[in-house]
Amino acid sequence: MTDMTSPIAPIRTQTANPVAPGRTPWKAEAVGFVLGFALLALLPLVFGDTYARHILIMAFIYAIVASNWDLSLGYGGVFNFGHLALFGIGVYAYSLLTKLSGLDPWIALFASGIIATLAAIVVTIPILRLKGIYIILVTFGFAQLVMQVILSQSDITGGTQGIVRIPGLYWFDHNMVRDGKFAYFYIALALLVASTLFLRVFVRSRTGASIVALRDNEEYAISRGVSIVRQRMLTLAASAFFTGIAGAFYAAYQRNASIDVFGMSLATIILSMVLLGGTSTIYGAIVASFVLTIFAEWMADFGAWRPMITAVLIIGVMLAYPSGLAGMIKAAWGAVAGRIKRPA
Amino acid sequence: MSALAEILFGGLFQGSLYAMMAVGLALVWTTIGVFNFSHGVFMMLGAYIAWQLVEIGLPAAVAFPVAVVVMAGVGWILQASVVRPLIGRPNIVLVVVITTLAAGSLIENGALTIWGPRSKQIPALIDGNTTIGGVGVSLHQIAIIVITPLILAALWVFLNRTRLGLALRAVAQNEDASHLVGLNVTALYGLAFAIAASLAGLAGIFMGGYRFMSPVMGSDPLLKALIVVVFGGISSISGPIFAAYLIGFFEAACSYYFGLYWTPALLFGVLILTLMVRPEGIFASRSRGLA
Repeated sequence: MTDMTSPIAPIRTQTANPVAPGRTPWKAEAVGFVLGFALLALLPLVFGDTYARHILIMAFIYAIVASNWDLSLGYGGVFNFGHLALFGIGVYAYSLLTKLSGLDPWIALFASGIIATLAAIVVTIPILRLKGIYIILVTFGFAQLVMQVILSQSDITGGTQGIVRIPGLYWFDHNMVRDGKFAYFYIALALLVASTLFLRVFVRSRTGASIVALRDNEEYAISRGVSIVRQRMLTLAASAFFTGIAGAFYAAYQRNASIDVFGMSLATIILSMVLLGGTSTIYGAIVASFVLTIFAEWMADFGAWRPMITAVLIIGVMLAYPSGLAGMIKAAWGAVAGRIKRPA
Repeated sequence: MSALAEILFGGLFQGSLYAMMAVGLALVWTTIGVFNFSHGVFMMLGAYIAWQLVEIGLPAAVAFPVAVVVMAGVGWILQASVVRPLIGRPNIVLVVVITTLAAGSLIENGALTIWGPRSKQIPALIDGNTTIGGVGVSLHQIAIIVITPLILAALWVFLNRTRLGLALRAVAQNEDASHLVGLNVTALYGLAFAIAASLAGLAGIFMGGYRFMSPVMGSDPLLKALIVVVFGGISSISGPIFAAYLIGFFEAACSYYFGLYWTPALLFGVLILTLMVRPEGIFASRSRGLA
């Protein structure tokens, strides 16, 4: 990582107090975790109308995808630009499994996560020897490859037409359609809880610490016996499972699959959630997903101006607070705390 | 005979367009060390500005150069607004990806609002068609095949034989030393972006002359340019140029023998294989480190 010919410095956390995994006592985090998600679970009581619930479900899906991306991008320092392809693989795996082979939707949901994980392992092979920008290019290429294969196999995948009338999820005899998205809300929330729990336990574990060590000082970590091949594969595979499940849930919820999930616009939005939230936090990406999704809805009246306003805001936050909203909150808190302390 | 002529012609034509795009990406990468994801949008904007100038009554001979110059300004402004403030930040590569993507989205949606989604076309460089070796081709395409190497050669002369060009390459090789010998590094960064943007704009004008334009026309060429740059190696200017033509021929041959649908998949397969064997690109020297 000390390549002096490189025009730019390698990625490194340069905060005064680097946030080590396991720094917050786990009990404190568990309390916050339970309280935070309990609050989310109460939301359907406040928001009765279907549309508000729909927005929240979409925010949950984006939060799963963004927070899993934070695992590979933030903690792992692997610039995986094929993350949305893993989501897309989940979408198409679920659609094809339920529609063509008539698999049970719940089994298909789980299987989609496994398929996305396998795809992540495959894409890790070519990037094992690569660094930085080369990883961006290969993973970007992988995403395009997946898209092209889906487009070219239009007999099975519907090509640009996509797939419609995908079987949705079921819950015993519960009517999923006429309950004001009540059931889908809680399934989405349960998936988010499971994904977040998995991610936090993963990054707080010894494996998580070794992944961060590889990111921050590769040579030293390797010299201490951390295998870059195994850890990198593990990171990408771990970030893929819930991403694939989120894709499958998205397909089950929307009841259709389209090639748009591979497009640049969705990737840009999700990536900005990860970066706006502040990398290597998991929670930051989740909060940013809520903020951005709700913000996008709030601006629905602006029509064609909406993507432009979003773009300007993303640039503005990135220029002013490179560590994202987390850095912004930290800076604001610092200013407030400074003002309180001064008179004393 | 006609098959060979078709592949040769198609390869030269596509290769020319890819080379124009890829050189700009590589120039920005070597000088500043960032990837400009709004490069495809530059291409689109160049074509639309040229269309607008022709629409208000300027002859193509005036409108096209003016559009290219305007694009240089756009490149400079983009660099000054979303790239320069980030230089020196630890995670600049990643942050610039998102800021250029966002800037690209801003310009793309701006173009959609100003010019609308209706497809447009700008005049060809030269009207008319001809037949070479049993293949019918338009004079516009032949003009592109001839003009592109001239422009690339001019760029090579600029980078290797002029003071300014050498200064640009000096910044690319060692930024600190460039500061020490008194080069205006900030201005050179702007220059790299300006050249890249005008080359992309010119590629857009070339493309708008034979295909309908739309605000999203730049995304596919950007992708191809990325492949070309990976394939040819990032650390030089000549690598991507050779790779552009090679990929042009590869695509032409693939679509001739396997059909248009399978070409992109084959291309990406070859790309990933190349990176596994030679991650620094096939035309790059092995000595330069990866980072």
